[in-house]
Amino acid sequence: MSDGLHARELTVRYGGLVANSEVSVDVAPGEIVGLIGPNGAGKTTFVDALTGFAPMTGEIELDGIRIENLPPHERRAAGLSRTWQSGELFGNLSTTENLLVAARSAGWTSLARDVFGRRRRNGRDVVGAALEMVGLTDIADTLARDLSLGQQKLVGVARAAAGGCTVLLLDEPAAGLDSMESRALAQRLRAIADAGPGILLIDHDMSLVLTVCDRVTVLEFGKQIFTGDPTAARTDPRVVAAYLGTPTEVGHG
Amino acid sequence: MADAPLLSVDGLTAGYNGVPAIRDLSLDVRAGEVVALLGPNGAGKTTSLLAMVGLVPLLGGEVRVLGAPLGRRRPHQLARNGVLLVPDDRGLFPSLSIREHMRLAARTRDTRREQEVLERFPALLDLGSRRAGLLSGGEQQMLAIAKALLARPKVLIVDEMSLGLAPKIVQDLLPMIGRLARADGIGVVLVEQHIELALQVADRGVVVNHGRAVLAEDAAALLADRDLVEEAYFGAGRFADHEAVGGTA
Amino acid sequence: MGTVLQFVVLGLGLGAVYIGLGSGLLLVHRATGMINFAQGAIATWGAYVFAELRNTGTLVFPVGSVDLGEPPSTATALVIALATAIALGFAVHYLAFRPVQQNSVLAQVVVSVALLITIQALVVLRFGPNKIDVESFVPGGTVTLLGAAIPTRELFIALVMVVLAALVWCYLRFTRMGIATRAASENERAAVLMGFSPSWLAAIAQAGAAFVGTVAVILASSLTGLNADYFGLLVVPALAVLLVAKLESIPVLVVAAIGLGAFQSLIGLLVTQPWWPVWAQSGLDQVIPFAVVMVILFVTGKRLPTRGATQQIRLPDVPIPRIRPLVAIGLVVAAGLALAFTTGTIRFGLTTSLILSLLALSYVVLTGYLGQISLAQSAFAGAAGFVLSKASVDWGIPFPISMILCALLATALGMLVALPAFRIRGAQLAIVTLAAGLGIERFIFNNYSLSPPEGNPIADASLFGMDLAVREGRDLSRLAFSLMVLVIVAIIVWVFVRVASGDMGRAFLAVRANERAAESSGINVRRTKVIGFALSAFIAGIAGCLIGFSRGQLSAESFTVMAGLQLLAVAYLGGITTIGGSLVAGLIGPLGISYVLMRTWLDLGEYYELVLGLALVLTAILNPVGIAGAVRHQVEFVRRKLRRPATSPPIDAPRREEEASHV
Repeated sequence: MSDGLHARELTVRYGGLVANSEVSVDVAPGEIVGLIGPNGAGKTTFVDALTGFAPMTGEIELDGIRIENLPPHERRAAGLSRTWQSGELFGNLSTTENLLVAARSAGWTSLARDVFGRRRRNGRDVVGAALEMVGLTDIADTLARDLSLGQQKLVGVARAAAGGCTVLLLDEPAAGLDSMESRALAQRLRAIADAGPGILLIDHDMSLVLTVCDRVTVLEFGKQIFTGDPTAARTDPRVVAAYLGTPTEVGHG
Repeated sequence: MADAPLLSVDGLTAGYNGVPAIRDLSLDVRAGEVVALLGPNGAGKTTSLLAMVGLVPLLGGEVRVLGAPLGRRRPHQLARNGVLLVPDDRGLFPSLSIREHMRLAARTRDTRREQEVLERFPALLDLGSRRAGLLSGGEQQMLAIAKALLARPKVLIVDEMSLGLAPKIVQDLLPMIGRLARADGIGVVLVEQHIELALQVADRGVVVNHGRAVLAEDAAALLADRDLVEEAYFGAGRFADHEAVGGTA
Repeated sequence: MGTVLQFVVLGLGLGAVYIGLGSGLLLVHRATGMINFAQGAIATWGAYVFAELRNTGTLVFPVGSVDLGEPPSTATALVIALATAIALGFAVHYLAFRPVQQNSVLAQVVVSVALLITIQALVVLRFGPNKIDVESFVPGGTVTLLGAAIPTRELFIALVMVVLAALVWCYLRFTRMGIATRAASENERAAVLMGFSPSWLAAIAQAGAAFVGTVAVILASSLTGLNADYFGLLVVPALAVLLVAKLESIPVLVVAAIGLGAFQSLIGLLVTQPWWPVWAQSGLDQVIPFAVVMVILFVTGKRLPTRGATQQIRLPDVPIPRIRPLVAIGLVVAAGLALAFTTGTIRFGLTTSLILSLLALSYVVLTGYLGQISLAQSAFAGAAGFVLSKASVDWGIPFPISMILCALLATALGMLVALPAFRIRGAQLAIVTLAAGLGIERFIFNNYSLSPPEGNPIADASLFGMDLAVREGRDLSRLAFSLMVLVIVAIIVWVFVRVASGDMGRAFLAVRANERAAESSGINVRRTKVIGFALSAFIAGIAGCLIGFSRGQLSAESFTVMAGLQLLAVAYLGGITTIGGSLVAGLIGPLGISYVLMRTWLDLGEYYELVLGLALVLTAILNPVGIAGAVRHQVEFVRRKLRRPATSPPIDAPRREEEASHV
């Protein structure tokens, strides 16, 4: 049975700069955890470290298996999946093809399978569920780069979820969305989490984070300054200070 | 202020590949005035700034710089005319020394001006031969501003100055920009995450969220009604359905 | 010891050329982020202008020439030649490099390769194909040191080039323009925001690079005479030197250039030793630069600087192919009929076109789908053809097996060349594969003990008693052979379509689009690259064997680096992302049917390379999808026009209208 993600004391150093300092986060199956903090706080770095794109120290356990020494594609295979802030879709491929990249393996054996094997009539059999989950069936054959920004973000989420995963790491899926799209995204995320996987959600859209997350962790300058209930985060003085600047005598306290 | 604005943005819509990241933004900046552009990440602030200097194509609206439309002027020509953007990566060259940065910034060699500028940033004075990549975040930001000042700007646009800086440094740097703007008659546009500090320096503030301007007020008024800003900032429903609000000018 | 010193100094002449070309390459890379594969060819043009002025008193332009009456003085000729070089530098920037500044790396590599082909072709057309002698105005003589006569000419030339390289260094170090050039290479947007025009900085750099390179070639050609092919391809060791200098450091570049020149000269001495194995006498001097490049890249690969793009680069479309049986059968039948109803050179041209389309297909796999730039494809093909000669004649392996074995050998070679692709990509990978190709060419094909000048005969193919030989008596192009080629091409294209439309093809496209995203989607990027290189080399290997069969022997000139570059050119011109493109490439490829027609009907064979080069420059700039892509766009456009009046399904109708109103 799935045990979710346990990251313990992840530290990332770039030269002299400590981008993450002993950050620990747990994501249980079906749970949505928010990771928030001002710009430059080290949120994306944390996701990079989890997925093998940044050098790190510390422990990462996924479903009881240690994965911190695996290369990125094997962490994905182990069930840790992510999206990128900038979308990073395969622009030349259709929505369905984008999802199939994640859902189907491609190695020497698939070479033979490609040549001699029977072809599925339609890739949507494989990724249809993931498409439906984010409500993208009507753009299944559109090239990714012709999609609107909001759709691209959703395809990114669907691609990360395609082929199954234990924990989804979503890096600012709502950045650049208008408020309506943002609200729609919140519902989708809840639906995904209810279907099984845990979600770690990075976003600046506070209303999204505060409404959809079960717990939040707040980073500032690479350090964890708060972990707990979303409503408590909103009133926590350190969190407010990190976001809006320390109120001084001129402003209202 | 009766004088014509140095930078006038009217209904600016801009974005990439035909997809707008900011819609219908309007603001005016006059000599000696500071306008703060505020809003969460992904709201379209940086895109707006890049569009103002011609680095991102306009999809709609108009930008007038120093009295003339942006038109077909190339970004480097605008810079030569005195419209300087300090981008969010600070626009530095890691392997070039401070002195080399100064050399590039001043079109004609003017040691007096250089001294004058550097005196405003005493921390840089002793570091002339150090490479920009080896400077601390605060020193880098000072260099970025000093470099821009050396080019005798008429309009100075600063993107996310506080990015990665400790609050203490920001508290020193931001008011300095305000003083410089008034002293030299520079029109300044600031993009800031640090709302409180930015509004203390600015004359006016424009809050953008989800690609639209949702609030535009005098800075003092915004400071006085903190809830209003918070609502706009955290994207509460109250503002989501409003039409975009133009600049107060 | 004295002899060693003598050879070291002799190597300085070569080292001086590497300094000249290398510092120019560095300057251009600093200013544009591009690698100029035509640097050697550009420098050669000015040197030819100089030589022609001094020899005949004629000032030759690409079109037209001016007779000055009698040869001008050396100084005058030098000034004119260098002015030509500077003008050429500006022209190269404004006509070729600047238009592709925002294009994909592939388009940038292709533009400079196209320039290389164009200028080489122009040189041959305007100055003749033969080596010409150049008056030596450099003071000659020898000094005796350690009991050996040390030539002073090489010393002088090397000194001049070191001084020029030092000037380039000073430019980048101390002048405002030079500092801005370095600045722009680190952060182009910031340089623009400070009021600098990257295009102007790049134009200056191109002119400076052309100047320095031309000086080097003029000086060095006074030692060896002028030969366009030779000096044009000296860009390869110069590129090796550039990589050693990490594309940044002029001092390191100078040291590495002199070191490499001296080292190659010493190898020349070494291979004449009686104990040196005969088979390793030729080509070692080219294998070593490749080895150097490989080692450097493996040690420092990830730290080589690449220029950040100011905006997202849009790659040309890759349509996922579908097998349309009717079209496929129609094409095969049409090709069969065309072969059946032609004879002689025309049929041979058609057959060659079929084979060339396979070679182009190997580029489609590797470059079009996987996004990796390889300039070694012709070497893979040649290696297969080379072994085929041994396998079919010496070892007596029967036909289809021999061909498949040889193609598998090419596959292994391809997988080996894939290794550097783990670390590097883009233009730097192009450098490595180019060096590898040149190494294979010089070490195997130009090596008399491996490839005797009388040729490596290849036994004719036969299958189940069917004679598949290309010739029989006076028939120089038998139908049986042509049909065999057609069958093989059809099978390989079918295999490719299956792969390209399957999981593997999708993985290729994902890696091409975005390696990071592919990795995070669970794709093993390294393995995918190895598979792509393997598949591509296999196809190239089959093509190499077919070329061998069609000639009856291994002909080294079919597989030279220049031939490989021409193939890249036609593959790109045809359309490097589609099968249709590779078929078009076959039709227009060197010695293919278009060439045959151009030569026999229009008598324009000598302009073939020039036309090819120019067409390629234009394609890279204007039309990255090539001829096939352009045709497809046209067809789609017409189809859409035709479909418009028809009523669309009711459910879709409102949405379509909405879309249309946005356009």
